[in-house]
Amino acid sequence: MNVLALEFPPISHLFEWPEIAFHGTFYAINKTVLIYIAAVVITAAIFLLAGRKTGSLVPAGVQHVAEAGVTFIEESVVMETIGEEGKKFMPFLTTMFFFILFSNIFEVIPGIQFPANSRMAIPITLALVVWVIYNYVGIRSQGLGGYLKNSLFPPGVPVALYLIVTPIELVSTFIVRPFSLAIRLWANMVAGHLLLVTFAILSHTMFTSGIVGKVGSIAPFAMLTMMTGFEILVSVLQAFIFTILTAVYIGGSLHPAH
Amino acid sequence: MTNRWNRLLAAPLLALLALLAFAGPASASGESVGSCMAEKLEELIEESHGDLEEVLHELHVDTSIGDHFEKNCIEAPSPILPETNEIIWGGSAFLILFVLMVKKGFPAVRGAMDARAEKIRSDLDAAEQARVDAQSVQSDYEARLADAKTEASQLIDEARVAADQLKGDLAESAEVDIAEMRERAAVDIESSRAQAIADLRSEVAGIALGAAERVVHASLDAEVQSRLIDAYIDEVAGTDG
Repeated sequence: MNVLALEFPPISHLFEWPEIAFHGTFYAINKTVLIYIAAVVITAAIFLLAGRKTGSLVPAGVQHVAEAGVTFIEESVVMETIGEEGKKFMPFLTTMFFFILFSNIFEVIPGIQFPANSRMAIPITLALVVWVIYNYVGIRSQGLGGYLKNSLFPPGVPVALYLIVTPIELVSTFIVRPFSLAIRLWANMVAGHLLLVTFAILSHTMFTSGIVGKVGSIAPFAMLTMMTGFEILVSVLQAFIFTILTAVYIGGSLHPAH
Repeated sequence: MTNRWNRLLAAPLLALLALLAFAGPASASGESVGSCMAEKLEELIEESHGDLEEVLHELHVDTSIGDHFEKNCIEAPSPILPETNEIIWGGSAFLILFVLMVKKGFPAVRGAMDARAEKIRSDLDAAEQARVDAQSVQSDYEARLADAKTEASQLIDEARVAADQLKGDLAESAEVDIAEMRERAAVDIESSRAQAIADLRSEVAGIALGAAERVVHASLDAEVQSRLIDAYIDEVAGTDG
């Protein structure tokens, strides 16, 4: 694609990776799948290694990462949104946070440079899992009638307003939520990847186009460097947002009054 | 009509596809074959007022190619739709990780954190207990020290009183002794003096008698001599006064 004299690859080339193994099957492996597997291996390795060193009083190495993650999820996510009751969801939320984080962070790892969550598979799968969990928690803690009543007819709202509020709540709680959750993560990672690719191509094109271009390529390269740092932040932030929204939804199902 | 519109829509896509299909290393003129083809194709379409069929006819291209690109380009999978293989692998990966975390990873890390927190808590409790004990021991020692100081002070006071008493007693006793000694000495002196006087008197009497005997050669009896001597001595004593 020729955009302002730049040979820009088509969008599909930036996100759809050729199959590496099991070609044409429903379990074909591509780069995205390899990143998912890497995210599992890294997270599991961190936690299994960290859990092995139980004797030391002062944490060291990967223990810091695992314990900081657990403390962060507990203090900044669970206790802030659900409370003491939410601690039983800690393993799920911790797994989700680390899995999303490592799937995202490959966006800035040299040689890989692709966020697996810029593909819709994991965002939508996790969002649907979250949808099932918070609805199950709501029905279990309040009963089906109570959950529907509290969800569709929020207490404290004037009765006349239910005409407006109830349809909105119905759509937002039971239909839109999983999609907004998934699309937020997916779109952020897509946008980040596109930004990095744009500045990378711009830098490369200018650098290879003569002395003026070489000098001028400093500007897009500086932007590329800055955006790489920014995308690290986005990767962490999106993992956090997905996790905390999950906790908020679960908390809302557990405590309808709030 | 619809088919015609579709073909018209397919035209720029056809150009795009041509560009992409032949996009490669830049040619000597700095233009790729694909982009050149696309530009020429666009020019032809413009010249024929957007009639793709006419262009394709002129180029001797089978007009069904438009349908082919429409099917393969326009109906390309949307990037927002998830791929089945990625859902299966991603979902399985998450599930496996979740099971690993629930069974092994999370309890191990959490257990280590809890154990450490418990150890720190118990160490702090032990340190607090040790501090309380040490404080108690210190208070005990301080109390004992204060008692010892008080006792020592009392002992010193008692010793001082006793010493003063002793000093007083000794002084008094010494004074009594001195007085006695002085008295005895006076008595002794007086006695010695009397004895000395008696001895002297006796001596002087003997000397005087002997002298008198020699002078008077008289034969005074001893009684007269003694009386005369005593009278002389008394006289002498009275003159010494």
